[in-house]
Amino acid sequence: MSYKPTIVAFLCNWCSYTGADLAGTSRIKYAPNIRVIRIMCSGRVDPTFVLKSLREGADGVLICGCHPGDCHYHEGNYKCLRRYHLLQKYIQQMGIPKDRLRLEWISASEGKQFAQLVDEFTESVAKLGKSEIRQVMETLT
Amino acid sequence: MEEKRIGVYICWCGTNISLMVDVETVAKEMAKLPNVVISKDYKYVCSDPGQDIIIKDIKEHNLNRIVVASCSPRMHELTFRKTLVKAGLNPYYFEMANIREQDSWVHTDRVEATKKAKALIAAAINRVSFHEALDSRSVEINPATFIIGGGISGLSAALEIADSGKKVFLIERSGRMGGHVADFDLTFPYMYSAQQMITPLIQRVKSHQNIELFLNSEIKEIFGYIGNFESTIHSKDGKETAVKFGNVIIATGLKTFDPSNIENYGYGKLPDVITSFEFEKMLLNGIIKTKDGKEPKNIAIIHCVGSRNKNYHEYCSRTCCMTALKYANQIRCELPKANIFDIYADMRSFGKGCEEFYTLSSRRNIKFLMFDQENDLPKIVSANSGDNCDMLIEINEKLTGKTIEVPADMVILMVGMEARENAKEIAHAVGISMCGNSFYIERHPKLDPVATTTNGVYIAGGCQAPKEIPDSVAQAKAAAARILATIAKGSVEVEVTTACVNEDFCCGCQTCIKVCPYTAISFDAEKKVSVVNEVLCKGCGTCGSGCPTGAIKCKHFTDMQILSQIEGIMKISHLELQEA
Repeated sequence: MSYKPTIVAFLCNWCSYTGADLAGTSRIKYAPNIRVIRIMCSGRVDPTFVLKSLREGADGVLICGCHPGDCHYHEGNYKCLRRYHLLQKYIQQMGIPKDRLRLEWISASEGKQFAQLVDEFTESVAKLGKSEIRQVMETLT
Repeated sequence: MEEKRIGVYICWCGTNISLMVDVETVAKEMAKLPNVVISKDYKYVCSDPGQDIIIKDIKEHNLNRIVVASCSPRMHELTFRKTLVKAGLNPYYFEMANIREQDSWVHTDRVEATKKAKALIAAAINRVSFHEALDSRSVEINPATFIIGGGISGLSAALEIADSGKKVFLIERSGRMGGHVADFDLTFPYMYSAQQMITPLIQRVKSHQNIELFLNSEIKEIFGYIGNFESTIHSKDGKETAVKFGNVIIATGLKTFDPSNIENYGYGKLPDVITSFEFEKMLLNGIIKTKDGKEPKNIAIIHCVGSRNKNYHEYCSRTCCMTALKYANQIRCELPKANIFDIYADMRSFGKGCEEFYTLSSRRNIKFLMFDQENDLPKIVSANSGDNCDMLIEINEKLTGKTIEVPADMVILMVGMEARENAKEIAHAVGISMCGNSFYIERHPKLDPVATTTNGVYIAGGCQAPKEIPDSVAQAKAAAARILATIAKGSVEVEVTTACVNEDFCCGCQTCIKVCPYTAISFDAEKKVSVVNEVLCKGCGTCGSGCPTGAIKCKHFTDMQILSQIEGIMKISHLELQEA
């Protein structure tokens, strides 16, 4: 059986969290490895949140926000995008593959797309296997 | 620091959650987590008896933090916050774990779904320990309402509000009121005259003392929040009017699909292929004639033009089937000898009186032919001189399975409905969301179909989705009723989850000022610290993640609250791995 990863996701309240709820009301099925944390805007995703998730042993971190131009707060998603690119470089320098972190835009009507994204990201993270940090943690204990 | 005493309530939601999540085991395990005093499962926590259990427990066990694991917080967060208030607790001492929309409804493996529920609830339990009491802030409601769009929805809402004695600003982009309905002749299924319905509405709006009407006018942006919006109306003659209002109704309607791109139909090339709206004009003028002035002997009506086809729009435009039947009946009355061909994909005659209307139409010598609107559109070509008609329509008829040729002198394309080209600009101006088809999204598709996710902004009519007249009027009047209810109350509580600055930590770098989309943060040059104006702040939290020293606190979404949530999720994940 393939590795069952743990994924921490940060979803903005207005588009992505609503889209994820729509996947639910539409009873669209997807992989159960994702653990969602609701925030008001993807602009609230402090780099610390991503690093904390990885440090605690998350195998993948997913951030979802409104599509460019559709942010409920005008431009929080653009701020998130900048931080995301920096973060990807940063985690690579720490020996974590950049593909463990992903940012995608999900609108409030994209329940189906959210489900597909979760399946796809879960699969790609499962291929990367157990997080490097968790491996170190387990060796130390 | 006060001792945290947490109560955890796990909802079955009938069987919605309990079928996929082992709620009883989860409740037992959550009881073992630190600070959890009570952990229970119950059939419907949101019901009155469910809420009473929470209230009783808060009092008996001196609970000061509550976690409910049930549906989405978008559904019942407010319900449970009120429960806490009833029990004398601050409403923000509450956290919800979404184990229905984002767990039991989307997974098929009960073991995995149960694990996920545990992780989400453990996260909520961790988070709620860091929750702080926030004081509610209530604002007064300006009793004026701003309505965008002077179609039947906008007019209906305006009259409803104005008749109750409240002020309405009604703006309309064009120079006339009535929208599409003003272009209609008769309406289905009872053949009432559209003119007789819309004209009195327009007259009443024009002469109403409580309605201020702005024709040929638009807005660029609306500022403020529920109860206290303001905007500037720009009229085409250059006049600008500043207005203040408490609520907004968007009733901007929709537009018709342009069939020029559907090659098979030859619209724009074949002169007597016309759209339903062009035919409606003929009916309104009382003359059904081809372009060269002849009376058509053969008239074909083609359904689903631009609808229910992935090359154009995947959705059903809802009104065209019945309008097509209305045309067939009207043609039968005007031209008793004409051949009428109704070329349909599926006849959608839902709604009061509509199936009966279809049955009636089927007895009036109208030929119904079925086609595949997804993969196999009929093809219209010019006829040859010996054909005794102007055009021929080639159809692969589904019911007979045969390819047939239908004669036609006039073809009416039942064009679908689509969002207006400026739908996005309006959405941005008022801060509401659109679906993939650019129609506006309601707050809840079933339980709140007129409100939007922006408090104080409502939607009505075709801008939300294609719909017929009674549905538009119902939605408009529902929006009006919602607004009148808030006006009657006089004030409304607004979110207090704004940002604030800890002056001791602020280094004066002003990063927060640069990232704030609302210019809600300013710099106190004397103290050399940033200051948040909480009236302007909408609580997005972008400043919080930009602040290098942690001086900015985003209330109810603090760093500690979110970091503790991550720890809660991962704690369960580690336990699982150890077990495995």
